[in-house]
Amino acid sequence: MGRVVGIDLGTTYSLIAYVDRTTGEPRCIPGPYGETLCPSVVSVDPDGTVVVGEPARRRLLTQSDRTIYSVKRLMGRGAADVQDELKIFPFRIDPESQNVIRVRLGERVFTPPEISAFILRELKGWAEEFFHDAVDRAVITVPAYFNDAQRQATKDAGRLAGLEALRLVNEPTAAALAYGLHEKPATAGGLVAVYDLGGGTFDISILKLISTGEGDIYQVLSTNGDTHLGGDDIDNLLQSIAREEIRKQFRFDLDSHPEAVQELRRALIRAKHELSAAEATTVRFPVPAGVYVREFTRAELEGWIRPLVERTMGPVKQAVADAKLAPAQMHEVVLVGGSTRIPLVRRSVEGYFGRRPHTELNPDEVVALGAAVQAEILESGVKNMLLLDVTPLSLGIETMGGVVAKIIPRNSTIPASAQELFTTGVDNQTGIDIHVLQGERELAKDCRSLARFQLKVPPGPAGLARIEVKFLIDANGILQVAARDLHAGEERSIEVQPSYGLSDTEIERMLEESIEYAEQDFSERQLIEARNEAESILHVTEKSLAQAREEQAEVGDAERETIEAAVAAVRESMAGSDYKLIRARIDALNQATLPLAERMMNRALATALEGKRVEDV
Amino acid sequence: MSALPTSTTTASACWSCRAVTGGEHFCPACGKLQPLPRSTDYFAFFGLPRKLRLDTAELEKRFHQLSWKLHPDHFVREEAYERELSLNRSAQLNDAYRALRDPILRVEYLLAREGMRKEGQHKQQAPPELLEEVFELNESLDELRGVRRAGGDGNEMAALRAKLEAAQKNFQDALATVDEELDGIFGQWDSALDAGADEAVRRKLMERMNEVLNRRSYIRNLLANVQSELAEA
Repeated sequence: MGRVVGIDLGTTYSLIAYVDRTTGEPRCIPGPYGETLCPSVVSVDPDGTVVVGEPARRRLLTQSDRTIYSVKRLMGRGAADVQDELKIFPFRIDPESQNVIRVRLGERVFTPPEISAFILRELKGWAEEFFHDAVDRAVITVPAYFNDAQRQATKDAGRLAGLEALRLVNEPTAAALAYGLHEKPATAGGLVAVYDLGGGTFDISILKLISTGEGDIYQVLSTNGDTHLGGDDIDNLLQSIAREEIRKQFRFDLDSHPEAVQELRRALIRAKHELSAAEATTVRFPVPAGVYVREFTRAELEGWIRPLVERTMGPVKQAVADAKLAPAQMHEVVLVGGSTRIPLVRRSVEGYFGRRPHTELNPDEVVALGAAVQAEILESGVKNMLLLDVTPLSLGIETMGGVVAKIIPRNSTIPASAQELFTTGVDNQTGIDIHVLQGERELAKDCRSLARFQLKVPPGPAGLARIEVKFLIDANGILQVAARDLHAGEERSIEVQPSYGLSDTEIERMLEESIEYAEQDFSERQLIEARNEAESILHVTEKSLAQAREEQAEVGDAERETIEAAVAAVRESMAGSDYKLIRARIDALNQATLPLAERMMNRALATALEGKRVEDV
Repeated sequence: MSALPTSTTTASACWSCRAVTGGEHFCPACGKLQPLPRSTDYFAFFGLPRKLRLDTAELEKRFHQLSWKLHPDHFVREEAYERELSLNRSAQLNDAYRALRDPILRVEYLLAREGMRKEGQHKQQAPPELLEEVFELNESLDELRGVRRAGGDGNEMAALRAKLEAAQKNFQDALATVDEELDGIFGQWDSALDAGADEAVRRKLMERMNEVLNRRSYIRNLLANVQSELAEA
């Protein structure tokens, strides 16, 4: 068997981590660029080659129709669920989509688990390169508030990537686990609130840490959240504001320029990040009629995002109430997720709990680190630590009049089960229809449909049949169902048709199809990507040199020589098969052309500004 | 969501070493996890007597101890059959803990198990001592809805609100009284068990508990109504 890892499959970034057996500390595994964060972006070439991570992210600017980000928002959802997202996100949903969304990337169509599997396979490649050993099992994290279908979709993605999901762990719980390793003495026996605001999801979990003779138990008391609330929403907000301003100021509509939209998005995200440290920052964005120059202040940003931050407080209050605690009773408050770098978020959390939150650990890495800790616990059989998590949503079945009868309440420790007895209502009825749902609302139509199935019964008088159905939520938060005929005493497995998600046959077919992607060896793929990138940068360099000549811009002899030497070095490396060398030479060339690029950018900017002044007059 | 694999029937011999077992969690001979008899009582699961004034700290301690032993995380490397046993056992452990740690769920479980929980016919009737207050409440609620329909006169609304708040206080007190009464019967039940009381005595106590539970759920419904009206007002 191969190595076991922990993976944070995030909306914006994904990470992979392991526990270093010599130090016992969890660590993130770097990718080919030395970065531990892999952008959760996937792009597919016309020939079917899949590009993941940073190179795919660059393609958002140039090949947005064959590139996708934030696919986590689509996991386990049906076409009808995502209509709102489609107004904001450039997802190209296949019109055939119903209960499983199909996304078009260039010439091909993929389901969200397949796209997530590309990300998982990329990370698996990083780890295999790092260990020089196969990786076949993983602990994968999911938002605590993910429902059954979203969890199943994540597990399916693992399977499609050749990774057995040993366990799905809730993100805030994983964070507590990583954090607990460092802070154990302070928090033993204590109550911890984990506030996790990521790129696309928000979770809050309240945990109790218990020291026992056998070891430490991390018991989740309650959890709550919103699976569609995160940093993405702030980006969308900024984007709509900027687009509106551009439309007014320049009479220029970005709607028909998807590449420009992505470029603006990147600039605004950078500004958002800067405003966590600075009071103000300026965005410069060229449009055909000039340059959109806009100073954003932190106060302004806070005004816009206050409603979003306030939306997180509802789930926070509910989780604290469900744990039968008061906010001041928490011994520790932990912040997780990139969006918790925002000062307003920190102030709000601190204000509510009356306690300064912990931010020592890198909020981007902490979930992956915790997943690695759990993977190590499962793999090594270390039995001095135990996670007891809960199911975030109540499980129910539909009864008369579309009302939901709850059979497993939310915040029940998992695994959890419930037995229900069913019988027939009319003579010679041959089947009993069962509709399983998840959610807190009274009516079936307001809850999430998980599955419908029919219990077959032998014909007989009404009320004679006695079928016991067992609903079991496993340690991953995924539902399993079994039925038993109490008269015949026989156990039957039942065909359960999930309302959302892939059937086993569909997964089998996808596994077969995915072999063609898997065959492309990781380093081979890296090589192809590095060569492609080298090609394009050589092209750009030549073009700029030509343009500089045309505009009679001064390029000194020394500068020209440096650039030409760097170009030759890139060409030489491309002939070989060392992708790391190619990358290093690309970086060197980028360095060499930087002064030239800056001068040309300034010139373009100046021209544009001049143009604007002329227009204003 | 998927179909559960078919599980096994009860065995009195250890599935692994064939030693005779008596319904323990683990085989006394080889230490392997055993399938749980279908009818295992939640109290027995924790090795506790069927007392209703349960020491919840002791219950929690046992819950944690059993979690260590039964949780699927500790069976990841065992064969599929044992993994499934662990899944089912720890689900039962969690179900049992959920039912026993809360006094109301605990007594409801005991009564259901003994076939003594009967909600039915008396559920809709107000307890005699609350009749007058229920009548007043319904009047206030009608008035409130009337005023609200008419557009809501500020002074009238405030007066009605005060009335509702008083009613809320009354029902909260009534609930506390009922809970005390229930706890009193819990004490009698526990003493009866200690004294080895016979079936007839126990049935009588269970009937009383059932009656108090029905009264309690009536009051709780009233309280919930008042609270949701207050939230709207």
